[in-house]
Amino acid sequence: MRKRIGSGAFWVVVVVVLLVLVFPIFWIYLTSFKPPEYVYSLDPGRLFAFGPTLANYEFLFAEKPLFVRAFINTAVIATISTGFVMVVSLPAAYSFARWNTGAGNLLFITISTRMFPPVIAAIPFFVLFRSMHLMDTHVALILLYLYFNMSFATFLLFGFFREIPVELEQAARVDGYGLWDIFRRIIFPLIRPGAAITAVFCFVFAWNEFLYAFLFTSRVARTLPLEISAFWGALSIQWGPMAAAVGLGILPTLIIAWFMQRYIIRGLTFGAVKG
Amino acid sequence: MSVSGDSMRDELLPSESKRKQSFWETLTNERNFKWTLLIPLLAILGVMLFYPLIYCIGNALQEYSLGETSTFIGFDNYRYILHDAKFWIALGRTFQILVICVSVELALGLGIALLFSREFKGQNAVRGLCLLPLLVMPLAMSMEWNFILQYDFGLMNQIITWLGGDKIDWWMPGRALYTVCAITIWQWLPFSIFVLVAGLRGLPKGPFEAARVDGASGWFTFRKLTLPMLTPLIMIIVVLRTMWLIRLFDPLYGTTHGGAGTETLDYLTWRVGFTYFDIGQGSAIAMLSLFLTIVLCAVMFRVLMKSLGVIK
Repeated sequence: MRKRIGSGAFWVVVVVVLLVLVFPIFWIYLTSFKPPEYVYSLDPGRLFAFGPTLANYEFLFAEKPLFVRAFINTAVIATISTGFVMVVSLPAAYSFARWNTGAGNLLFITISTRMFPPVIAAIPFFVLFRSMHLMDTHVALILLYLYFNMSFATFLLFGFFREIPVELEQAARVDGYGLWDIFRRIIFPLIRPGAAITAVFCFVFAWNEFLYAFLFTSRVARTLPLEISAFWGALSIQWGPMAAAVGLGILPTLIIAWFMQRYIIRGLTFGAVKG
Repeated sequence: MSVSGDSMRDELLPSESKRKQSFWETLTNERNFKWTLLIPLLAILGVMLFYPLIYCIGNALQEYSLGETSTFIGFDNYRYILHDAKFWIALGRTFQILVICVSVELALGLGIALLFSREFKGQNAVRGLCLLPLLVMPLAMSMEWNFILQYDFGLMNQIITWLGGDKIDWWMPGRALYTVCAITIWQWLPFSIFVLVAGLRGLPKGPFEAARVDGASGWFTFRKLTLPMLTPLIMIIVVLRTMWLIRLFDPLYGTTHGGAGTETLDYLTWRVGFTYFDIGQGSAIAMLSLFLTIVLCAVMFRVLMKSLGVIK
């Protein structure tokens, strides 16, 4: 008897936790399909029972044509900057992992760039980019995201490289394999999952980033978060279309989350568990 | 020995090893290779870490509004801001947010983690769903919270009125700060949960078995066994969250725009630097904020290292 009660209580808590964490996101999509009157309605009956409509999405694409552009911008910037981050961080992390280059101090400095509040770096970059005519360009954001993701990626990859036993590489060396061969046949297959997780994190961060996009772009290189924040300026916020915009904006990350969840969770807890 | 398997060749042709190495060979020989790998990283670090830092330090000592020429004024920026009530209030709010968010996230996270640490059916789906708040665009989510917590027709107030209560003004000055805390706690709670679940699952079974055999109560086991063993992980969560909470921006911008009593130190920096364009003053506040971050993180890092037994 006791066990059944205990198990029942367990599931109640699980459901409550899930509800709290997931329902707000679900509410976004629910709202985005509601006709405008239902969005503002106080009638409890109207909360869930309504005829779904694409009106909000139509409004979004009609009134805010920049939305599509922002979506593309964000995708481009996130992808390219993540690519650069991997190119820079993979070799660096390997160096730190195999040889402890810089005796730990260099690694610490690299990681500490993440410690700095972004606003601090924003001011000098702002002045610099202005003088270099890099304001409102994709290049500016790509560079900035490269800088910010680099430290995190290096740290994460460092951990993953440490997991690869040195003996494998040493055995290959003894067998006479060249550097490039060792990389191709041994290291690359083993680091692929770790690199995938890291790339996903970097991509998601670049996708979601707001402050730097806000400061450094205005029209040409606008990203999604910026476009969504533009809903604030209106006299009365159009909650319906905003929900549609938010729903579309977070969709890629949600899809990535669902497919990569096992790997993402592993990446999150990786450094933590090993201490 | 050179890395490309040339060992045989070196022995056969001793004169070869005496010639000067080509540039590529210098870069890739045993000693230098590890540094070669670091070249891109170091280049970017050099430009994008040290340049802004030095520039910021310099700016903080100037009276510099964007578009005008700057004049050197020594520590006047610091003197001004340290006497300004705005600064201390913002600093206080930053600490408030820090303390509230970290303690709630840890308490709730630990509780839920204890629950989730056991294997149960459907745990993969549950974990996948719990991950979502972490990955959602913070700014978009904050604006959505604006909607849910809207006074007239927001979902929360609707639910409250059905349950018979009065509508709550979530964004009232004085209360808005706690609302913002709640929003960021909502987003980052999964982080604590995941880290702690991983930690709990990694704990050795032995001591717990022994405690059970000896008849120790659940609470006693928790206090004397679980908590001490989890301390390193808890400290990691505290350090990371502190670092991230000091620079909290998206929820503030997406909800109250820094009004209604929610301005934190970093928000003030942004406002001074990017709405008044007082670069000199903004840089000074930024330097103070950086100093605060370093001090806080250094202290916590020491505590973390001690708990790991690295230093005594």
